[in-house]
Amino acid sequence: MRYLRAFGAFWYDFLIGDRPELFVGSIVVLALVWLAINVGFSPTAAGGLLTVLILVLAGLSIWSATRART
Amino acid sequence: MNLVIAALPAFLASIVEFVEALTIVLAVGVTRQWRSTLIGVAAAVVVLIVLIGVFGSALVLLVPIETLRLVVGGFLVIYGLQWLVKAILRAAGAKSKHDEAAIYQREIAAMREEPPVPATGMDWISFTVAFKGVLLEGMEVAFIVVTFGASAGQLGPASLGATVAGILVLLVGVAVHRPLARVPENGLKFMVGLMLTTFGTFWAGEGVGVDWVASDATLLALFAIFTIASLVAVWVVRRQLRAAPVFAGEPMAKEA
Repeated sequence: MRYLRAFGAFWYDFLIGDRPELFVGSIVVLALVWLAINVGFSPTAAGGLLTVLILVLAGLSIWSATRART
Repeated sequence: MNLVIAALPAFLASIVEFVEALTIVLAVGVTRQWRSTLIGVAAAVVVLIVLIGVFGSALVLLVPIETLRLVVGGFLVIYGLQWLVKAILRAAGAKSKHDEAAIYQREIAAMREEPPVPATGMDWISFTVAFKGVLLEGMEVAFIVVTFGASAGQLGPASLGATVAGILVLLVGVAVHRPLARVPENGLKFMVGLMLTTFGTFWAGEGVGVDWVASDATLLALFAIFTIASLVAVWVVRRQLRAAPVFAGEPMAKEA
């Protein structure tokens, strides 16, 4: 049980760590792009949408990390 | 092209992780017993090779490439953004940089508090600390090697990139016999974060049905966009921190 807990803690720290918004946000971004394509959004334009959403996600994470200091 | 795609990120990421592992190994070896420490390192390396071989082969052989690229791409976006955001915050001065010399001193102090080294036989403390240190740092390398290698169909070159990095760090470590504090770790993390985010976006995009306008050449455009955006982010955060003199004396965010 101790090893299982340590294994779980390792993966939590590895993929989520101190920036959980990046984990959740990345999944949400990919789901949104998949949804957009499936409701008729152009698959070519979806590449641009995905890139912009990733940039927004990174920007929000940086903003939240620096907000407390400024 | 595919060879470079698989080998270069594995090589750069491995340098970062192996430099961190070397700090732990040196601290244990110097303060306790080299023989048990090196056996611990060897055991961890064997475990890592088995993990890469088993999981890498299983992914390539059993999972369809579209599914693989969606899942692996998603993981790479998450992992790449974590490295990139931390590197941006460190470059801008909003987060303390990784200091191998300070970590080395902390590890040595921790080792000195442990019970004395047995007069004969194995020192299990040396073995365990070295094994854990190399395994944990190496797991991140294994993750990158397996994901990049499997998605690009180049498990061999990705493993080679990591192996060359490991040998390089080991040789320099043996030569200088102290932690490699001068390695531009944040610069390397910045570069690896950009690469992981670029490839992750590309592969995950393909996985959800994106038709990249310039096919594989889109990778270069994505890399350029993410690089420019990251440099702008460093500049903006630096300006924000300078414009907040009230907080100028506050300690930097704790390192993770």
